[in-house]
Amino acid sequence: MRVPLSWLREYVPIEVPLGELTERLSVASAEVEGVERIGVPEADGNLERFRVGRVLEAEKHPNADRLQLCRVDVGEGEPRQIVCGAWNFGPGATVAVALPGAVLPGGLELERREVRGELSDGMILAEDEVELGPDHAGIMVLADGPEPGTPLVEVLPLVDDVLLLEPTGNRPDLLAVYGVAREVAALFDMPLADVPGGQSSGHVPEGQVEVEVDDFEACPRYIGRLFENVRIEPSPLWLKSRLLVAGMRPIANVVDVTNYVMVALGNPLHAFDFETLHGGKIVVRRARKGEEMRTLDGVERRLEPEDLLIADTERAIALAGIMGGEETEIGASTTTVLLEAANFEPFTIFKTSERLRLRTEGSNRWEKGVDPYLAAPAAALATELLVELTGATWTAQSDVHADLPERPVVCYRPERADAVIGVATPVDDQHALLARLGFERGDDTVVVPTWRARDVTREIDVVEEIARFRLEEVPFTLPVRRAMFGTLTREQQLRRRIEDALVGLGFSETYTPSLRPDDETDWKLPEPIAVELTALRTSLLPSLVEAVRRNVDAGAEQIALFELARIYLSNGELPNERLHVAGVAPGGFARVKGVVQALYEVLKAGAQFERADHPLFHPGKTARTSAGIVGELNPRILDGEWGAFELDLESLFAESREPVAYEDVITYPAVRQDLAFVVPEQVEAGELVAAAREAAGPQLREVEIFDVYRGEQVGEGKKSIAFSVAFQSPERTLSDEDAAALRRQIADALGERFGAVLRTA
Amino acid sequence: MTENEATVAAVDWEAYEREASAAVAAASGPTELEDARVGYLGRKSELAQALRGVRDRESGMLLNGIRERLEAAVTQRERTLEGEELDRRLREEIVDVTLPGERLPLGHLHPITQVRRIVEDAFLGLGYEIRDDREVETLEYNFDKLAFAPTHPARSPRDTFFFDESHVLRTETSPSQIHALEEHEPPIYMVSIGRVYRRDAITATRYPIFHQFEGLAVDEGITLADLKGTLLHVMRALYGPERRIRFRTHFFPFTEPSIEPDVSCGICDGAGCRTCKHTGWIEMGGAGVVDPQVFENVGVDPERWSGFAFGCGLERAAQLRHDIPDIRLLWEGDLRVLRQF
Ligand SMILES: [Zn+2]
Repeated sequence: MRVPLSWLREYVPIEVPLGELTERLSVASAEVEGVERIGVPEADGNLERFRVGRVLEAEKHPNADRLQLCRVDVGEGEPRQIVCGAWNFGPGATVAVALPGAVLPGGLELERREVRGELSDGMILAEDEVELGPDHAGIMVLADGPEPGTPLVEVLPLVDDVLLLEPTGNRPDLLAVYGVAREVAALFDMPLADVPGGQSSGHVPEGQVEVEVDDFEACPRYIGRLFENVRIEPSPLWLKSRLLVAGMRPIANVVDVTNYVMVALGNPLHAFDFETLHGGKIVVRRARKGEEMRTLDGVERRLEPEDLLIADTERAIALAGIMGGEETEIGASTTTVLLEAANFEPFTIFKTSERLRLRTEGSNRWEKGVDPYLAAPAAALATELLVELTGATWTAQSDVHADLPERPVVCYRPERADAVIGVATPVDDQHALLARLGFERGDDTVVVPTWRARDVTREIDVVEEIARFRLEEVPFTLPVRRAMFGTLTREQQLRRRIEDALVGLGFSETYTPSLRPDDETDWKLPEPIAVELTALRTSLLPSLVEAVRRNVDAGAEQIALFELARIYLSNGELPNERLHVAGVAPGGFARVKGVVQALYEVLKAGAQFERADHPLFHPGKTARTSAGIVGELNPRILDGEWGAFELDLESLFAESREPVAYEDVITYPAVRQDLAFVVPEQVEAGELVAAAREAAGPQLREVEIFDVYRGEQVGEGKKSIAFSVAFQSPERTLSDEDAAALRRQIADALGERFGAVLRTA
Repeated sequence: MTENEATVAAVDWEAYEREASAAVAAASGPTELEDARVGYLGRKSELAQALRGVRDRESGMLLNGIRERLEAAVTQRERTLEGEELDRRLREEIVDVTLPGERLPLGHLHPITQVRRIVEDAFLGLGYEIRDDREVETLEYNFDKLAFAPTHPARSPRDTFFFDESHVLRTETSPSQIHALEEHEPPIYMVSIGRVYRRDAITATRYPIFHQFEGLAVDEGITLADLKGTLLHVMRALYGPERRIRFRTHFFPFTEPSIEPDVSCGICDGAGCRTCKHTGWIEMGGAGVVDPQVFENVGVDPERWSGFAFGCGLERAAQLRHDIPDIRLLWEGDLRVLRQF
């Protein structure tokens, strides 16, 4: 909402410094996103170079057919000679003049210069040159009165500040200059002007506009007024400049008036060319199945039975509250105007605007809920302006409405406000604040003003009204605690441990999107913003590999990335969301397996690896653990030798033995030995270790492979695997005989199961 | 008198010891020391020869005493010389300490994770549990139970990612409030941290996926002032002990009164600069007192219990802490960026 300060001051005499006004509004009412200074730059006495001038002579430029050569009195005694391209004036006209040295709103500095051989000592201004209107067809001819030399700023609004206000969805009353003025008056405890148009009295015509409302739920009120002998003309300068400053394009008087009233009061209006209506009647109804209409923007709209329409006796003539129809639009030749000042319910408008993806200044206000009592002053203000600006006669009217809603009466305990806000506000002060906002005090109740009736319906809503006035005084306290919950869960602790371990192992953490172009999943967005962000991912690795590839392309060295994030598995009504950790780093299988072993080790878990297949991985260098996959990436996925893993954290944490129980390894020392077995080539080391552990039991404390040897000494198709083992008991010192027995148990078991032969040193 | 006795008597042992001690002390290197040792203590030395011939106890004690003292002096001198030799060698082993150290692989935590931990630790200190809930939500939890009006713009597929009529990617971490309230009886002090989704085009300031932390405190007698004190603590944990905060009125469906907390700009300290759009304040998110309707939606008595809730973005916090100009940098995994943090 753009709120021109000059317009605001028409309703409330606010003169506080701009910074104080914006600060107070931002804290207590609606955020001021910024202040736009518009019009003529004010610095260095620039405004003094804009003056009222009187044209003394005007004749054709001797060397140019399209130019006029003028002598203009700007109050200096000696008139100035000015070359001008416009012809909509003559001698005697009062005009706006910028003198050499003047800086125009766009930043252009005027110079005294020759135009086709004649000196031009200034410029006669058109409205667009000082941002007062869009027109450049002619210069501004001012009303007679001000003396030549009068500063122009005393005659025209050359400078204004526009508040860029962002009211929240619950405050449609602030989508109007008058509504903002009411708020400012309350904030600064100042008088507020009466509602513009609210005081209009006098003649009300006898004639009736025929209006039929079929659906009072959706349209609680419809005021129709008929104006005859309308002259469509450009609006006067003041109106055009207000609309421009408020961010709307002036078109012509009738449409400009409807827009002006909407910005002033917040009630969107519409005007129809009455002569284009069939049957001379307004019907407010829902659309029929298959009905169509062409809206003002030239688009043919297919309607649905949920859409609310303004129709005549035959067809739709407007999408209620959203946009008018093309066929009944006001045009240059319109002479009879039907003005609509209605009230529409938010939800209907929202649904239609949503479905048609059509959002307008009007629909934006209706969606948030407009005060149904506002239609009357809006109609009155528009009537006043239409009569004044178009020369029209108001000839007929009607006001069709259901019972308008009563003002909400809310039970209110002032002490409740103190309890919620945490700072005391005396009861009388509370009621004084509320009164400034339009609330009335009852017995243990407050009566809500009509323009806040949707937002304030409960005690807590009234409390908020007090709170927003006191936000600056709210102290800093902490809750009094009787229960504390400040501990990380086991999963959260282990998660940090994984993150820290990976960082220690040289991996840098990255974040990639949860959405992928192509995952096999039930969870795909039917309307993604981009194909790359379509499906909830079922694995982290694809995005991680892409991140690695981008780093390769960027020439990075020592690339090692990990991500810890969710994947989403299809699983009935809602996906099964699981935390995974994945990593990619250079190096072969042994290196990445070392990383995964380290992760198991920091969690105090034992890792078991077995051969596995995975589409992203090398077919011969891939293993599975209880928690996921590890191996070398298939070089088709990423060029070169890269290790990768992806593990499910829940499965991983399930194996953690944390907190670890102490084992006595000091009292009775271990017996360390090296054992080497010759086995057929296809036997895997992991099988041997598992079998050795099974055979020797808990007294085999450590077993580690330290060498694999192939060669003549062991023979074709065989290999020798060397283990370093430690035998240890927590109860006694093991003797050489004990160790020999254990070794024999292992040798027997491995011999039996794998044909392994113990090599003797 | 025997021949040996004569030998013992023939030498002035006091002088011998003095002379030997001086020779040991004067030895300036291992060779000289060895010469002195051989000369005064070796097999052919006068002392060794005399000792071989000693028969009486008195002479034995005298000569052994001299031998022991001289041996100790030699050992002592040897150590000193070794020490001096080591010092000399070390003095010569000079490296250019400005040359780089060995480059050990060291990774980096993502700035969002770093900020996440600061937030977690701040709330752990305040006695809050840390949780996260599902990202795919039902309309019931994402909107209805949080008291979103039927016309709230977030319900539009223009703002929110819909999978079908009843499932969305959560638009904020606020559904965690409902999950927490349904899971346990008050008092509740929790903060939920995770990914949220909005239908925004990707730009320097917006990314359709981002992270929020959402807090909820429900207890007896909770006030807006408690919210102010809590947020001050967390903002100072994130941005430094000098920061101030202020509240601005706002509107959210599930809080009443609703506010937006601003933190004083750390670049200009409130004077106004580009970062704070010349207001001196930086918006941090949304907050407010839990709306009684939310309590009623989950069966908690709003006359007995009150609470506050707040939500802030982690990306924004990371950007502010580290002066990161473009949110996309947080999602591209570029090591030139990640290695800075
Ligand atoms: Zn600043």
